Amino acid sequence: MQIPEPLQIAIDELSKLPSIGRKTAMRLALHLLSSDQERIDSLIHSIADLKAKIGFCTDCFNFSVNELCDICSNPKRDKTILCVVEEASDIIAIERTNEFSGIYHVLGGVLSPLDGSSVESLNIRELLSRLRESEIKEVILALNPNTEGESTSLYLAKLLKPLSLNISRIARGLPIGGDLEFADEATIGRAVLGRISL
Amino acid sequence: MTLNKLFLTNFRLHENTTLEFSNNLNYIVGGNGQGKTSILEAIYYLCTTRNISQSSDQEAVTFSKKYFELNGNFKDLTTNKTKVFYDNESNRKNYFLDDKQIYRASSIIGKFPVVTLTPSDHSITMGSPADRRKFIDSVISQSSDTYLKILMEYNKTIKQRSSLLSQLKDHRSAGLLQELDAWDLMLAKNGAEIIRHRINFLNDFELFVKEAYHNLMEEVEVPEIFYSTIQISDFSKIEEDILSALEKRRKDELIRGTNLVGPHRDDFVFSINGLELKKFGSQGQHKTFQIALRFGQFFFMNERLGRKPIFLMDDVFGELDTYRANKISEYLKDIGQAFITMTDFSNVANLSINETDRMINVHGGVAEYVS
Repeated sequence: MQIPEPLQIAIDELSKLPSIGRKTAMRLALHLLSSDQERIDSLIHSIADLKAKIGFCTDCFNFSVNELCDICSNPKRDKTILCVVEEASDIIAIERTNEFSGIYHVLGGVLSPLDGSSVESLNIRELLSRLRESEIKEVILALNPNTEGESTSLYLAKLLKPLSLNISRIARGLPIGGDLEFADEATIGRAVLGRISL
Repeated sequence: MTLNKLFLTNFRLHENTTLEFSNNLNYIVGGNGQGKTSILEAIYYLCTTRNISQSSDQEAVTFSKKYFELNGNFKDLTTNKTKVFYDNESNRKNYFLDDKQIYRASSIIGKFPVVTLTPSDHSITMGSPADRRKFIDSVISQSSDTYLKILMEYNKTIKQRSSLLSQLKDHRSAGLLQELDAWDLMLAKNGAEIIRHRINFLNDFELFVKEAYHNLMEEVEVPEIFYSTIQISDFSKIEEDILSALEKRRKDELIRGTNLVGPHRDDFVFSINGLELKKFGSQGQHKTFQIALRFGQFFFMNERLGRKPIFLMDDVFGELDTYRANKISEYLKDIGQAFITMTDFSNVANLSINETDRMINVHGGVAEYVS
């Protein structure tokens, strides 16, 4: 059977989304087709709003509706401690823990010469000027523990050293509630190296 | 661990071959191109899911057939049934352990330890440093998952750094140079771990190789393995040593736009009585050294894993005089289970063969027991 063109276009567009395959896209398109107009409008509206209303915080590059994001403009946040993350989505992950009450800085990636990602393409200059002008005393580097994240942490640590701030990197080790026997060797090895005294 | 039974279907010359093996030595005898090595190849597939050489899976399918299937029964504390099935049309290879499909080859690696000694080993002593690093890395990786992971991370660092260096070659900027500093630290960190692993490994491994060499050659020839890496001041300061080597070579690296310092440029120099094998060794000494390396690997793995690997030897006797051949066959008695191919029976007279050993004659893809 020939699929009507508008349906085919919708399927094509949907299947461009991450973790959506052809079949799922078809199911979604057919589901939307049978939904009532009100729901469709509300969906279209929300998608249009995404781009129109959400920008980046001018201070920390977090997602933000206003010029400053909710975190930067919140007077209750501790403005002396700053956490550096790779992407804005990492802020959401850290915020969910309720363990951190400081402010953030989003790099927008990590150093990766192979992918053409360098100091200039990341928000590093902005980080530096922010640190120079503010009351920040401590910086926590919370980048992913892979080769590129690690090397970016090393880069930043060296770059920030002259500013005489307290610089640390998030600990890595075993997940809570996990079993030693199921963890991989590299994780256990790092956890042993990074042990803390009691 | 031993392999008791092997079934080959449409595998090279073997359209339908069933073999039962001895727990000790299995001699596989036949002329050139009769299907001896295919049996070793099949065993290697079942132990590792991979091909013993670089050739593709498709080439292993009997001409004009559509698939090959290998079945093998291993016996350790319990029995394990293994199966490799390859289908031409889908170009897919499936591995089954006790009738359950295994999707990740890494979960099989180390389960059926295997050591190979093949004519292509000549590249270890005669070839380039890269061949030697490949050999050493594969032996360490087989006994340490951590090493394999560090090696992968190091290789990634090298790739990133090389890309950065070639960018710097085209256009030098202060920002990029600062980035390079960070990759230097990264290279030093992972590189130092690799060098430490290699030093520790060679300390152990050299003893095993020396013992093997001594058992193969009664004359007083002392083999040595010298690890050639960056200048090291102290075992605990390798990271600093790499960094200072990087500093010294930085100019050259920037001019040439490639990585010039680090364990990816290491070499392992083999010598006999203080003379470098690669420069001064005879053909026979090369061969003996290759054999000693593989026996060393065997006993090293045996100690680390606590069980005996299967030993596959492809045409070892071809290049050796009867004295050495006889020595090897005596040495083999300590080995456990081994599979040894030979081109003709004239060699057999010189070997010391036990009652429990098995002699298999292979002709045109058909195998029969001689004893």
